[in-house]
Amino acid sequence: MKRLLIASMLLLSCAGCAHLGVEPWQRDVLARPQMSLDADPLDAAIDDHIYFSKEASSGGRGFGGGGCGCN
Amino acid sequence: MNGKDLARALAAATCTLLGATEEAKAAEEPTWNLDTALLMYKESDSRVQDVSAAILASRNFADDRILGLTLTADTLTGASASGATALDRPQTFTSPSGRATYTTPAGRVPLDDTFKDTRFAVSGSWTQPLARLYTVSAGLGFSSEYDYRHFGANAQLARDFNKRNTTTSLSVAWSKDDVDPVGGAPLPLSQMLDVGSNANKSGSRSKNGLDAVFGVSQVLDRNTVVRLNYSYSRANGYLNDPYKLLSVVDAATGDTVARTPGPTGGPDGVYLFESRPDSRTKQSIYGELKRNLGGVVLSGSYRYLWDDWGITSHTLEARLRWPLGGGYLEPVVRWYTQSEADFYRISLVRGQPLPAYASADFRLGRFDATTLGLKYGHELSDGREWTVRLENYQQNGSTPSSALTGRQAQRDTFADLHAIILQFGYRFGL
Repeated sequence: MKRLLIASMLLLSCAGCAHLGVEPWQRDVLARPQMSLDADPLDAAIDDHIYFSKEASSGGRGFGGGGCGCN
Repeated sequence: MNGKDLARALAAATCTLLGATEEAKAAEEPTWNLDTALLMYKESDSRVQDVSAAILASRNFADDRILGLTLTADTLTGASASGATALDRPQTFTSPSGRATYTTPAGRVPLDDTFKDTRFAVSGSWTQPLARLYTVSAGLGFSSEYDYRHFGANAQLARDFNKRNTTTSLSVAWSKDDVDPVGGAPLPLSQMLDVGSNANKSGSRSKNGLDAVFGVSQVLDRNTVVRLNYSYSRANGYLNDPYKLLSVVDAATGDTVARTPGPTGGPDGVYLFESRPDSRTKQSIYGELKRNLGGVVLSGSYRYLWDDWGITSHTLEARLRWPLGGGYLEPVVRWYTQSEADFYRISLVRGQPLPAYASADFRLGRFDATTLGLKYGHELSDGREWTVRLENYQQNGSTPSSALTGRQAQRDTFADLHAIILQFGYRFGL
């Protein structure tokens, strides 16, 4: 419950995000492919699959890993 | 300008306009972007080896509509830890098929080397804008291996706010997996039997999964973007690993209780098949930051995960993408630690009542893992790029002394894992 509360507070704190950010003409750097939060989707999918099959955790960034009876 | 000249000028202007429209149309023609990878994953001590080929293809249509397709083929061979404990003598087990035996050397954590599989996976997704500020996407996925089949569907809705500096998204996924173990699914906590007797094994099992991710991403300034996700994941059904065992040991010595195999051959110790609860709820918080520092891009992420099996884990990852000549160099470091599941046991002790749930699968034990790696990417013309990455993965487990019985304290109780990951990639457009 405590964890959920912390999570909710973190998400709600984004209400203050309205003051953050840039104007559309200031997106030169952010528009570069390497600045995308999903810049290397294939690497990420491969990593998720490896860690899913070797650790008890998965997902977080997205659904991640899964779909195998990995030994 | 006379009438004729005017007509010619108008005709020319019309043609130019029409030509421009044609060019604009051509620019909107769908194009394919292909991201391909060849992966070699190799664990030390002849454990699991995987050679995998993957293609991620996306086709852009007009109005930001995107079709995505992924194809993966894996071939897996090698041995994996069965869950049985190490002994000072060799140990013999019945193979999962129930048709043969295999023997593991003295003093080593037993590995089941009968493991071999080929896996194919395919998935597709469609993404498109909805109204001015929404993006919707939906996808399907299917994978198949010798003893396992997976089918999944997912959908996502995202909305931009605040001049598109803030994006919130909600994703849901559903999956159904069928497990058809070699030799049949063993009855939980039943004993491994002699060759030819599969009385405690039957047919296939299935499980369902339901996942949801709520995410917020936020542009902080011209060089910085962050993301925060909350994930909820629930699995119901058959969650056992049908090939994992537990040794039954003597309360005083900690040695596996001996058993005399029948005439067809079989295990020379008492081993039980594991038993896990038939549901699991996992939750996680994931935060990520990406920042441009004068051309060098720093990415950092942290995940805190907890579940109702008693497992908690922390994952920290950092990458630095460093421009170098016509490409970039990207070192990566990842650190992971997890606590054990409530029902994780090194072994079961003879004479004590059997717990409802027990597993000696090392992946449910307490361990730390570190990944160190380096990637090099070389950018060519037309957005083409080739990459190579090499990573070293090391897992080290620990067992509290209170969980050990007798001589187990002097033996290896965790099958520490070391793996090398080598990947070649090529990205191009068509």
